[in-house]
Amino acid sequence: MTVIVAVAVLAGVLALATVLGLLLRSRTGRAKPSPTSADGTASTVADLAPPTAFGTRATLLQFSTPTCARCPATARHLDSVAARHDGVTRLEIDLAEHPGLAGRFNVLQTPTVLLVDGSGTVRTRFGGPPRPPELAAALATVLTAGTAGTTGTADTTDTQESR
Amino acid sequence: MTTTNDTDRGIDPRSPRFGAAITTVLLAATIVLTLIPETWVAGIVLLAVIVALFAVGGIAGIRRHPYGALFRRVVRPRLAPPAELEAPEPPTFAQQVGLFVTAVALLLALLGVPYAAPIGAAVALVAAFLNAVFDVCIGCLLYVWLVRAGVFRPRRGVA
Repeated sequence: MTVIVAVAVLAGVLALATVLGLLLRSRTGRAKPSPTSADGTASTVADLAPPTAFGTRATLLQFSTPTCARCPATARHLDSVAARHDGVTRLEIDLAEHPGLAGRFNVLQTPTVLLVDGSGTVRTRFGGPPRPPELAAALATVLTAGTAGTTGTADTTDTQESR
Repeated sequence: MTTTNDTDRGIDPRSPRFGAAITTVLLAATIVLTLIPETWVAGIVLLAVIVALFAVGGIAGIRRHPYGALFRRVVRPRLAPPAELEAPEPPTFAQQVGLFVTAVALLLALLGVPYAAPIGAAVALVAAFLNAVFDVCIGCLLYVWLVRAGVFRPRRGVA
């Protein structure tokens, strides 16, 4: 093989990697409405933890792994969001301890964050660290719907911090 | 917001990316050298060096990697302090993945499998390039795929 062909092969590999990188970058952290799965096991998370671990109005459920460089920063981001809203908590699950959940929720990367409403139903998912504006918008939707739909729950005032 | 614990064991997240950039250049040279028959031997020697460097990072840990020492001595003094420190496990896992891919490629090449060296180097190059240029975290992707493939067994009995 000549030098020119060898360099052309290298250029092709680098071009492929660049396309892959741009694709990954454009998709990571975006809010995606959660589809309802056929058997329903991927649309509810109520069986993953005791009821007290969930927020009364919404839960930010984060799937992590020990080799995930982004997960600690994502956890801090979610904690700060949860702290600004009453009835919202963060719940972190290590997939190394619960490998079955990766298949059940079709997790392809960590962190993957599920936005869960007060009834334990998955509403939105984020593959990769959630983009702050998209997370804030998705959470506002869930909180607004929850307030409109339920009566009698001791929801306190505040919450609608628009960002 | 770094705790004292982070400072003790954390690494500058730019250090592994700096190392990945060097690895990218070395792997690019390996691809070209092993594709040309006249320079094949030189390319294999370079691949063996890369395997050895991945072995240091993957087995001794990312903090013992020579590129890390180079980063601390030459690059870091010229940069602002890092916004936050990172756990050493993710880049160490990435080094182990690199070690596996390049070691298999080297072995197959020495056994006479045609194009094993450039193909293995290309696979490792894509990963190192994505890490260096796009800050893609291999441990965030591949580890989950391995979990789903059943490579890792649950540490607890549940789920």
